[in-house]
Amino acid sequence: MLYKLADITKKYENKTVLNINSLDIEKGRIYGLLGPNGAGKTTLLKILGFLEKPESGDIFYNSALVSLSEAFLQPLRKSVVMVNQRPILFTTTVYKNLEFGLKIRKIPKQKRKNIIEEALEVVGMTHLSQAKAHKLSGGETQRVALARAIALSPEVILCDEPTSSIDLENQTIIINLLKQINENRGISIIFTTHDKLQAASLAHNTLFLDQGRLSSDSYENLFSGNITKEAGGLSVCTIQNSVQIKTGTDKSGTVRLLIDPEKIYLAGVEDKKNNGESIITGKIVHITAENGKIRIIIRSGINIAILMPEAYYKSRRPMIGEDVSIIIPPESIRIL
Amino acid sequence: MDFLIDSFMSAILLAFSLDRELISIVAVSLKVSSSSTLIASLTGIPIGFLIASESFRGKQMLITCLNTLLALPTVVIGLFVYALISRRGIFGPFDLLYTQKAIIIGQALLIIPVVTTFTIAAISRIDNRYRQTAMTLGANRIQTAFVIIREARFGIVAAVIAAFGRVIAEVGISMMLGGNAKGFTRTMTTAMALEYDKGEFTLAVALGIVLLSLSFGINLLFHFFQGRTGD
Repeated sequence: MLYKLADITKKYENKTVLNINSLDIEKGRIYGLLGPNGAGKTTLLKILGFLEKPESGDIFYNSALVSLSEAFLQPLRKSVVMVNQRPILFTTTVYKNLEFGLKIRKIPKQKRKNIIEEALEVVGMTHLSQAKAHKLSGGETQRVALARAIALSPEVILCDEPTSSIDLENQTIIINLLKQINENRGISIIFTTHDKLQAASLAHNTLFLDQGRLSSDSYENLFSGNITKEAGGLSVCTIQNSVQIKTGTDKSGTVRLLIDPEKIYLAGVEDKKNNGESIITGKIVHITAENGKIRIIIRSGINIAILMPEAYYKSRRPMIGEDVSIIIPPESIRIL
Repeated sequence: MDFLIDSFMSAILLAFSLDRELISIVAVSLKVSSSSTLIASLTGIPIGFLIASESFRGKQMLITCLNTLLALPTVVIGLFVYALISRRGIFGPFDLLYTQKAIIIGQALLIIPVVTTFTIAAISRIDNRYRQTAMTLGANRIQTAFVIIREARFGIVAAVIAAFGRVIAEVGISMMLGGNAKGFTRTMTTAMALEYDKGEFTLAVALGIVLLSLSFGINLLFHFFQGRTGD
């Protein structure tokens, strides 16, 4: 086991931002850490990177208990590299940025040169070796930061939202690079994202974090809304002032609700409207295959995901751009 | 008016004639000011770094005190150091009074707050993610500190230049602790004060020209480095 976390808590200004009872991370795999903003993803990543210390709990790294003294953590950091959401490159050349960690590890000059050239080649940045690092674009910066991490041959690379601040072309490059690094070099990768699709396409394992806690929910279709009682006692949740969903709950006021994507289905002509169900119309904007299931994203003021069996998809054959109606039964809704 | 123009013209000629006395005075000035700036830098930069990067109780108060010390009159330092190094002072046995060392000590005390506060400002401007990036790449505390100082280098160099500019132009400390001994502790500013007392304006104005030229060069450097901080 690469990491084993037990009863980890982390507080900022007396507010608990992380509270993890148990987490095991295996060697050589890609983990996607999903969750909404402020869920504690980056904090967890920093703890895994030994950059921050938890208030309580135990961390085991390679089955050995990690002491939280600086003298113990500093050598451990040499095997775990974190790449920030907006990576910081030192104000010098790309080459010297890659050389920094190698010099610290006392790698001889010629060997350093070979490693740097190889790492830059992997990310396709050889031509920018002597360029000023702080003048690079967002995508180039992200790639150099990855090369800087690869050059150190770490056991783990931690990526905080690796594609959130770069263009589409570079997003694809980064995703492929992460896969390649994992497959060819056996480096374990843990990345954070709030994009479920990205996590599904890249990660072997997906972890969900919400309000600092690990959760078994996928946290897809997580919305904030306001529940009001309508005539006839129906409770209706209004999301982003545009979509109204019947909830069948006694709660009222501002809530966070979760709609299970596997319990939403496409409405057919034969479907009769049940009084407790909500029917929402929208346009299909995305269809992907995922572990034997098909994920469809429907835009209807908000983006709603549906996860359906492949057989059902084949029988219905919905197409991108098609206007459809979806049925959201009250049992698919969970108020958090 | 003619008297002023005559003095000025003679001074320009003197300044460019490489007069031995003038060169000796400029050399002493540069020597003591460089030495005091070096000492203040070696002291002020690490102190500034520590204050900027550590969190502790009373930090803001300390920074306020340091900022107050920026306005410290040179004569106050002169008096303070005099009390310490005069024959009756605790450092009296070292015979420092009226030596270049005395001037250097006084000037260093004058500009340590300058270097420290400017360093605090330069380090505080550096994004905390630089520290974290250095750490995740395996750097220890000292290596991380060097990364941050390196990133703040233009601001820190500007601090050193500003400090040098302050001491090269000061007169109180040099006069009180150096004694204005010819060829030994006579600096540009003390020489100018003496020449003024004597009513001899030619050397005073010539030294003024040299001092102004130096200040101009220092300011050019200062703005160059300050400009680089935002690059």
